[in-house]
Amino acid sequence: MTIDKTAGALPVPERAHDTIRGGAAARPPGPVLLIALAALVAVPFVLDQAFSYHLAIFICINAIIVVSLSLLARAGQISLCHGALVGVGAYVSVACVKGLGLPFLAGAAAAMLAAGAVAFLLGMIVLRLQGVYFVLITFAFSELVRLVLLEWVGVTGGANGITDIPVAAIAGYAFSAKPAFYALALVMTAAVIAFFWFFYASPAGEAVDAVGQNPALAESSGIGVRRTQLFAFTVASAFAGLGGSLLAHYLGYISPESFNMHYSVALIVMMVVGGRTFLLGGLIGALVMTPLPELFRGAVQTQDIFYGVALILMLRFMPNGLASVGARMRARVQARASARDAANAPAGASEPNRRPT
Amino acid sequence: MNRTRTMLFSLALALPGAAMAQETLKIGALVTLSGAGAAWGQALLYGAELAAEDVNGKGGLEVGGKKYRVQVIPYDDKYQAAEAVTAANRLISDDKVKYIIGPMGSAPALAVQPLTEREKVIIMTLGFTNKALSPEKPYSFRPNLTTEETSYPIIDWLVKRDKLKKVGGLFPNDESGQQIAGDLGKAYEKAGAALSSKEFFERQRVDMVPLLTRMISAGIDAIELNGNSPATAGMIVRQARELGFKGPIVRNGGPATPEIVAVAGKAATQGMMVTSLQDPDNQEVARYAQRYQDTYRKAMNGFSPAFYDGTHMLFKAMQNAGTVTDSTKVRDELQKLKDFKGIQGVLNWSGKARYGIDHQVASPFFISEVKDGVEVTVARCDLEKCVDITR
Amino acid sequence: MSNLLAQALVNGVIIGLLYMLMAVGFTLVFGVMRVVNFAHGQFYMVGAFATYVLMTSWQLPFIVAMLGAFVVTAVLGMVIEWLVLKPFRHDELNGMIATIGVAMILQAVALIIFGPDSQIMPQVAEGIFQVGSVIIPASRLYVAVASVLVLAALYVFLIHSRQGKALRASVQDMEIAMAHGVRAKFMYPLGFSLGVGLASIAGSLMAPLFSVSPFIGSTPLLKAFMVVILGGLGSVPGAALASLLLGVGESVASSFISNSVAEILIFVLVMAILVVRPAGLMGKAGA
Repeated sequence: MTIDKTAGALPVPERAHDTIRGGAAARPPGPVLLIALAALVAVPFVLDQAFSYHLAIFICINAIIVVSLSLLARAGQISLCHGALVGVGAYVSVACVKGLGLPFLAGAAAAMLAAGAVAFLLGMIVLRLQGVYFVLITFAFSELVRLVLLEWVGVTGGANGITDIPVAAIAGYAFSAKPAFYALALVMTAAVIAFFWFFYASPAGEAVDAVGQNPALAESSGIGVRRTQLFAFTVASAFAGLGGSLLAHYLGYISPESFNMHYSVALIVMMVVGGRTFLLGGLIGALVMTPLPELFRGAVQTQDIFYGVALILMLRFMPNGLASVGARMRARVQARASARDAANAPAGASEPNRRPT
Repeated sequence: MNRTRTMLFSLALALPGAAMAQETLKIGALVTLSGAGAAWGQALLYGAELAAEDVNGKGGLEVGGKKYRVQVIPYDDKYQAAEAVTAANRLISDDKVKYIIGPMGSAPALAVQPLTEREKVIIMTLGFTNKALSPEKPYSFRPNLTTEETSYPIIDWLVKRDKLKKVGGLFPNDESGQQIAGDLGKAYEKAGAALSSKEFFERQRVDMVPLLTRMISAGIDAIELNGNSPATAGMIVRQARELGFKGPIVRNGGPATPEIVAVAGKAATQGMMVTSLQDPDNQEVARYAQRYQDTYRKAMNGFSPAFYDGTHMLFKAMQNAGTVTDSTKVRDELQKLKDFKGIQGVLNWSGKARYGIDHQVASPFFISEVKDGVEVTVARCDLEKCVDITR
Repeated sequence: MSNLLAQALVNGVIIGLLYMLMAVGFTLVFGVMRVVNFAHGQFYMVGAFATYVLMTSWQLPFIVAMLGAFVVTAVLGMVIEWLVLKPFRHDELNGMIATIGVAMILQAVALIIFGPDSQIMPQVAEGIFQVGSVIIPASRLYVAVASVLVLAALYVFLIHSRQGKALRASVQDMEIAMAHGVRAKFMYPLGFSLGVGLASIAGSLMAPLFSVSPFIGSTPLLKAFMVVILGGLGSVPGAALASLLLGVGESVASSFISNSVAEILIFVLVMAILVVRPAGLMGKAGA
């Protein structure tokens, strides 16, 4: 049940529920959004080009990973080892599928378990400390994972990586063709987003948001900050592991450098650009940032400058990311409509909606 | 009526002109252009560009009666496997290239090969991993020498000359470093000595003193600097001498002696044995280096001549095959090339014994001794052995 | 064996002093501004490049170049603080992400100006000193002495000067400091530029010892992180102690066991210490 935000005595009209984030629940998707999403999904099929499928697959995988990173951000923490945990998932999945001959879905499940377990153990130690230590340690941990992947040559293949990774296959059908893998990635992305949609509407999701917005208040109302952040970290990392598994079984090759600090930073940039407080923020961030390097592929040096500037500008002027643009437009439309209502019906008018921060 | 005839007439004139009008031959350059690997990536890209400039300057590459303007399309793979695959996808699917110079790193090379082999795209890769070449990868070629090729002849020569028994080596902790360490270890064993001390460090590491301290106290006769950048190599030499190491120091790799001498000083580098892919006396390479410097305002990286020659070999293969579109025919002609005259010298394909397929270039390489800060060539090598140069 | 140990200890102390310069600056920035400065390593790189340019293009002697680099970096720090970080003064998380953006920009700009290759700086000191069987290269001794002098100067500033005391008060508790008349408006830029200025000095000192490239910033950043994790964020004495411990620990470990294993071991050790002492060796118990 969402907290009633309007003045108690007045009847609550339909529109008041369209606050940007009632509790933690995302708005149900309106028709415009659904059509836009459907159109986007269809683009690669229409173009039917190998490269478009390739980009689309990466957008899906990045979306899964960034949406999961947003979970941790909503709990008030930033992980700099998210990329490393994607790597953990990738290597575990490969070990299961290529090494033990297990089916792809088992590998993906193992990847999620492993990444989640690693995060849980790390979080147990680290989240007891002051919040800011968490970031420092995830930074160092990312380096540690990279070193372990490099050194443990017997298991990981060392710097040479692992080649000939079996293609993802379910019940005997191998997703080797790009359109097929795209469909698989789409289904997984939709499933992950659906999961988070239900999650944020649940009490657990509200706890996460409460902790992120005002830890002191949350703590005093009985929501353990550390406990919730540990939970968020574990779940977020589990989905990072899933992303890693998909990545490994699409590319067919993994090596330690793919999961380094650079990658973790890129994920953070995607999250900030897309919007960390919105359910679809991760998707938007992945959608915008994944094809962007293609524009730069000639003039490379300027790319990092662009990313750095974009990051700083977003943080300053659009801290809730591109996803907040839609929300703000909606709010403005509603504010105007409410003002009109108030002008037309002076008695018993609804309160104008809260402007988003 | 008259007008139609004039139009038809001018069309008829235009058609052979259209046939002579330039078509473009697109070649992809899939290399690392950002980050620390950029120096090597540029070596490959500029080598391909300079080769393209050569033929374009003559009006285009003449293949099968047609002249083609060669266009090199560069993409940065950021030394990451995923980025390399994306770039390869774009090159093949969007730009429709059938020939790629690169990738540069082993990880990107291994990552793109499933795609390039399936699409019958010829790649000329620098990747040091011995997995880059195999009979299952008939479209992959390597136009540069790696430690697999150069180590045994050089080490055999060195071991005999200095009676080495235990050698220590410092290697960067990435796939080329690990590969090189393995190759060198085997070569030393075969020559009757041992690479007894191996230390791996992060590529950006600058403080080698703890590693050297450990190696020296374990007792070594010589230090191997294989695979290290000029600045790093210079620091290792200086730090080793500062720690009191007096034995011989050996370095494989591209031209770097001036930088090493600048860092370590003449006294520390006296007697250092340097192996290089080019003869310091080779005038053609010196001219190429000058041209490189003039065009790009950067000192030439040691691998560039190999890729300059490699691109020219590709062009020759296309000419022999009479086609630029049938990559299978071009591949066949490419691997048939014998005694190709490049700026590095006479080039051939070999490598069947090691890789199962003759797609590894065999070019001459050299051993020099650093005397008073300057390299003096003392031996000339091929894949079998090194022979003293009598002056 | 004892010879090796003695040599390792000496190596470790010298490196530890360099870590101290990095870590103290980093922890100062955090203490004053509550910002985890991810660009700290890039200011180290800026200091190194500034020294390089001043020495090679303007032929200045090393000490002058180092001071010049300090000024350049401090001013750059002030500008960045005002331009980029000011809006995040009370927003730790976003401020931290903003410094990630700053780090990306600084490195990319250096890459464009100087290219990816390492630049070699002229030597500052030649020769070696030998104490018993322990060898100390003169260039490293130079660095160690300079670090000690700089840290001593910092100590004097922090303990005895008015601004220094104000700074320390801000680190302890900004609100109460403000209640006592300390102007936050000045503390933020002062703290930030002093902090990154220290990183610049570390970069200047290391530049002739090692080489200068746009990529030299990431390792010192990692070391600074490890030191403050170990020593307690916001504690200058903690940073000092922890940096020596880390330097010596690393040096001894990699002198006796393989380098890569040593690096993993160090990390595990730091984590283990955190389990036992969550606030670091000298940090305040966190809230």
